[in-house]
Amino acid sequence: MISVTRDDFDVNAVIGRVKQPDMGALVTFLGVVRDDGIEVMDLEAYEEVAVKEMETIRDEAFEKFPIEAVDIIHRIGRLRVGENILLIVVGAGHRKEAFDACEYILERIKQSVPIWKKEIGKDGERWVPGESHGGDA
Amino acid sequence: MQVRVRAFARLREAIGGDLTLEVPEGATMSRLLAAVGETSDQAGEALFEESGELRGYVILMHNGRRVRRAATGTLALADGDEVALFPPVAGG
Repeated sequence: MISVTRDDFDVNAVIGRVKQPDMGALVTFLGVVRDDGIEVMDLEAYEEVAVKEMETIRDEAFEKFPIEAVDIIHRIGRLRVGENILLIVVGAGHRKEAFDACEYILERIKQSVPIWKKEIGKDGERWVPGESHGGDA
Repeated sequence: MQVRVRAFARLREAIGGDLTLEVPEGATMSRLLAAVGETSDQAGEALFEESGELRGYVILMHNGRRVRRAATGTLALADGDEVALFPPVAGG
């Protein structure tokens, strides 16, 4: 399942949903709000396009790696330090492809999914600079 | 005809939110961008250099697909289209 949501998720429940008997490896990436001296973070998405882009990234991962399943959940809205932002779960027969696919998916999300973060602290607020222009300039 | 404009992150703040703009039939993406820039000083400054060129960080989408800068002068919009404007993405 691919989703952009304001709701938190239960990591174990997602892993349980992805897990199948032919999988020997489930690699999970959990991104959380880091304490960089901020109080909260506001995440904003171009939701329809973000979901489609994550579906495209999942399909790319299936083409590149011999994996069995991918779930991606990206949260938006106001999140406090320590709260979950992003969950990627990749299920595969073996660990290597599961790790490689999970990393590939994460890097692609940072590159092209239209989501933005604003850090809000005592001293003011700032938009986190984008890591990539996403191609074409 | 009417075109819906959606803006995100710092561009949303500068433009003040989503807009629905009335533009002439067959208007290009460039024409629409100029119209967005004319809605306020803040919007104009966020989108354009003093030279009038579109700022380097502005990413454009037309009905959910990326638009190359080189195509803005020729891409003709249609009634009901959705154009999105945003800075480089920072999710994950």
